[in-house]
Amino acid sequence: MARERILIADGDADTAQIAEYEHDRRELIRRGLGLGGAVVAAASSIPLLLSVRNAFAASSGDVEILQSAITLEGIAVLAYGVAINSGLLSGDFTKVARRFRDHEQEHADALTTALTDLGGTPPAKPEIKDIDGVVKGIGTLKSQGDVANFAIELEMAAVAAYYEAHRKLTDAKLLQAGASIMANEAQHLVVLRQTVKRAAVPNAFETGEQ
Amino acid sequence: MDVDSFLRDPLSRRRFFRMSGVSVAGGSAVFLAACGDDTKSPTASLGPDESDEADVEILNSALDLELMAVAAYKAGAAKLTGSALRAGKLFLEQEQEHADGLASAIKDAGGKPNRAKAAYDFPELSSQTDVLRFAVDLENTAIAAYIDALPKLGKGDLRATAAAIVANEAEHVAVLLGALGEQQVPDAFVVGKAA
Repeated sequence: MARERILIADGDADTAQIAEYEHDRRELIRRGLGLGGAVVAAASSIPLLLSVRNAFAASSGDVEILQSAITLEGIAVLAYGVAINSGLLSGDFTKVARRFRDHEQEHADALTTALTDLGGTPPAKPEIKDIDGVVKGIGTLKSQGDVANFAIELEMAAVAAYYEAHRKLTDAKLLQAGASIMANEAQHLVVLRQTVKRAAVPNAFETGEQ
Repeated sequence: MDVDSFLRDPLSRRRFFRMSGVSVAGGSAVFLAACGDDTKSPTASLGPDESDEADVEILNSALDLELMAVAAYKAGAAKLTGSALRAGKLFLEQEQEHADGLASAIKDAGGKPNRAKAAYDFPELSSQTDVLRFAVDLENTAIAAYIDALPKLGKGDLRATAAAIVANEAEHVAVLLGALGEQQVPDAFVVGKAA
């Protein structure tokens, strides 16, 4: 079940290949394995993140969902940090990546406050190697387009996780915070998709699925 | 009225949304400082039938907004050209998809979907910039309304769908702001603007 992330060159995307990849990914999610079965075997240091979607879907309570979300936001902060320091980005795109990293940090901070208010314990800080638990291959990026496509996958995973969380969360203010964060990730997607000339708003319902 | 006065004057905005049949409780979209207090979903204590009735009312308010957005994008299209026109057409279709989805959900819950008004009293849209700014305002109003309504929805599937619609409206805002030459993602938390 070796599953490679598909990098899409600026402009031309192999739609058949993407469709196949998406089909596989949906199949996995349906079977409850979530993003990348290989990740499970790789024994991430963060068991909650065996699968982002699965972790959210299987979480029984608000505290557990918050812990997963904080880890996910922390991973996004790290991934944008890697991107910013990669030397692959233009000046303009570096500004965008910094802005988005700050947003992810704001999400993590607000969620951590909410978690401690609920009496929960913040999860361990993720490490660079944990990025692989959400989207694989951050070490292999070779161009700004690669970085943007990687970030698109990461943001899609986050949107999908928050989408699933809306079935489970019970606290009214958490539901609202979750939606406002999910909407912000969706706006990130617009800018990233425009960077690589992909359709900016491909679906009327942004669920994090292609 | 021109768009400038409309956007500047909260009273005329409120009157407009009320006249257009949009009854949205405003204000509660501002929540972040209180994130995590002990407010629980008010639907928790309702039986299934009451929950369905409450959902129908909320979904019909959302449907009113979507139908108005469809009408607004139709009215505005004449002033749009190029990529702004393409975006306007796409967003019109997507608002219609939301409206269709809400109408089915209302029927599933045993309710009767509201219909579009025969006419909407939109402010005067005399340029592409006017249309884009008015569209940003409508999208933000819808976002605030959905976020306000989210915790009141009794079914998990409906809450997830509402969140997916909020995310899509937020994407529209990012594209529209870009077309206006403004910062596309101004805030880490997208809360919209209460009617």
